[in-house]
Amino acid sequence: MADRTFEMELDRQFGDHPILPDAELFAQRFAERLDRGWTFRRLLIGGLGLAGGLIGAGQVLGSGLLSRLHTISAQSDALMKAGAAQLPVARSVTALLADGSPLDGQVLWMSAGLAALAIGLFVSRAIREI
Amino acid sequence: MSPAQSARASAHDLDLVAQAVTGSREAFGELVRRHGSAVRGLLRRMGADPALADDLAQDAFLAAFEQIADFRGEGTFQAWVKRIAARLYVKRWRRDVRLDVVAETPEAEQDPAEGQTGAAARIDLDEALKTLSPVERVCVSLCYGGGLSHAEAAQALNAPLGTVKSHVKRGLDKLRARMAPGVTPETRESAAHG
Repeated sequence: MADRTFEMELDRQFGDHPILPDAELFAQRFAERLDRGWTFRRLLIGGLGLAGGLIGAGQVLGSGLLSRLHTISAQSDALMKAGAAQLPVARSVTALLADGSPLDGQVLWMSAGLAALAIGLFVSRAIREI
Repeated sequence: MSPAQSARASAHDLDLVAQAVTGSREAFGELVRRHGSAVRGLLRRMGADPALADDLAQDAFLAAFEQIADFRGEGTFQAWVKRIAARLYVKRWRRDVRLDVVAETPEAEQDPAEGQTGAAARIDLDEALKTLSPVERVCVSLCYGGGLSHAEAAQALNAPLGTVKSHVKRGLDKLRARMAPGVTPETRESAAHG
């Protein structure tokens, strides 16, 4: 019984801590450390994303994908124009398409550029949220 | 103090934990403000000097923030962080001292009431802990301050369970002699049989 009483007293004393005078400073130091870690993490993620993007872009350029896409785009453009020319009803529309109309190959590039821009904005926003 | 700060100051620990789980560093900061002294105090009682206790307490809170989703609310937040801090201290302590210190070694008996008279014999826990050997101090602090079971303490110390129990018992006897000098193993024995 005396043992149990003593152990309960010991538990109580171990649980009884005075507030240290520099408690606020300790909490402040911890917050600063947490912020530093957070900033470092964000920089690391951003840096890795940039490096990954550059490597990816390098691979795309190196593999000749752009020239292949340009060829495909030109071929599909020619095919569309040829197909449209055979439709008598749509002749007035094909006349518009023939002279730098919005459906030629450049449109595809503009769309791709806008999509890349949108993805970039999304990624930067996501990093900020993280 | 802003309304958000005063709301945090009056919030329950579990509410702050819930906010910290969603990434609120401000809510976790409030928990650090509330329980920092207790964690640092435990580490000092385990034998860490104030600077080391502060460093380890910071590490413990950082680990707690990273694992906050694992806190199930079964015990108090303070007890949970104390356990993390106690384990960190043991890891550090085991690295710094010779591992064979944990092994059970016979010690020269010390008269616990030496130099004390009457009411002066009733001294506080912090002073009493200083009379324990380092390994006894760590074992007692782990089990009573850190809230670890004997088995968990043995695992943390990488020592046999019997050895840890023995260190705890010896440490408790010394503490009892210092803090409650009227109660000796003999009087406990007679109380148990009578």
